[in-house]
Amino acid sequence: MSFAASTILTCSLLVAALAIAVPADAQTATSTFSANLGGIAKLSLSSNTLSFPDADPDTVPLVPAAGGAITIIAKARASLAATVTLTVVAADDLRSGVDTIPASALTWMASGAGFVNGTVSRTAPQVVASWTGSGIRTGTQSYRFQNSWSYRTGTYSVSLLYTLVSP
Amino acid sequence: MRRATLLRSALLAVGWLALLAPAATAQPGPKLDISITPVTTTFPLSDPDTVPIVTAAPVQITYRIRQNDGPWTLTVLANGDLLAGPSNVDISKVTWVATPAPPFQNGVLSKTVAQRLASGTGNVNPARQGQVTFRLANSWDYTAGLYTQTIVFTLTAP
Repeated sequence: MSFAASTILTCSLLVAALAIAVPADAQTATSTFSANLGGIAKLSLSSNTLSFPDADPDTVPLVPAAGGAITIIAKARASLAATVTLTVVAADDLRSGVDTIPASALTWMASGAGFVNGTVSRTAPQVVASWTGSGIRTGTQSYRFQNSWSYRTGTYSVSLLYTLVSP
Repeated sequence: MRRATLLRSALLAVGWLALLAPAATAQPGPKLDISITPVTTTFPLSDPDTVPIVTAAPVQITYRIRQNDGPWTLTVLANGDLLAGPSNVDISKVTWVATPAPPFQNGVLSKTVAQRLASGTGNVNPARQGQVTFRLANSWDYTAGLYTQTIVFTLTAP
């Protein structure tokens, strides 16, 4: 094959390739997604009541709550690197008519990642658990009552308020 | 002599291209039209426990294909993950349910490979409509924020 003939053949192949490589016809449309994944929090306790049975202060100085530990499931969707906090505060002291026992007589032992031991207060919320970022955390609180001979007899009660904050 | 041959060859090739151009005009390619409404798809704030799958309002796709004697395909591709500042939610958390089937089909969004949303052959004339409902897998693990992303629908008839 002469040089001229081979050049023409090359050009022919090039033209053929150009014809084949013509892009397919296409039309497009664009849509925008907007997803509101705002901060939300949800808290659940395995029990809404605690009771402490009567006991001899000498043999049972710390009375564990009947029914065992409370299981806490805290769910939070938080901002990036934000600290989620679960606190508890007593509405009052333990009260039986006019008789009272300081709320601080209630203490707890905690288990679970981010959960900490503590003492109930009626003036300042106490941290039960804290962690960073979104997710579901599960822990337990085993409440105990500080027994004493000095308490007046009676059935004492108090409400505890749990607050889960997801900034 | 050699230069003259090269020049002659080049001119010949240009001439062939010129001949091909009118031929292409004489056989026009497919005419495609596509539109969607609404152009913004919103996923509302929902409790992941009670609404594990967040459903957006349906998107209406209107498409028309003319002068086509081959296959056609409608694909969808995300430009990226759902983004809210430095936070992201993988776009594969977004799925869709589409009707009518066929030609439409359900799928999962991707940011790397265009996913087939519908396909067929020949013409679709007059225009037809399909409905696509996007769904976002809800989770407590997402970082809070208002996430956005754009997706592109592409109608092709090769």
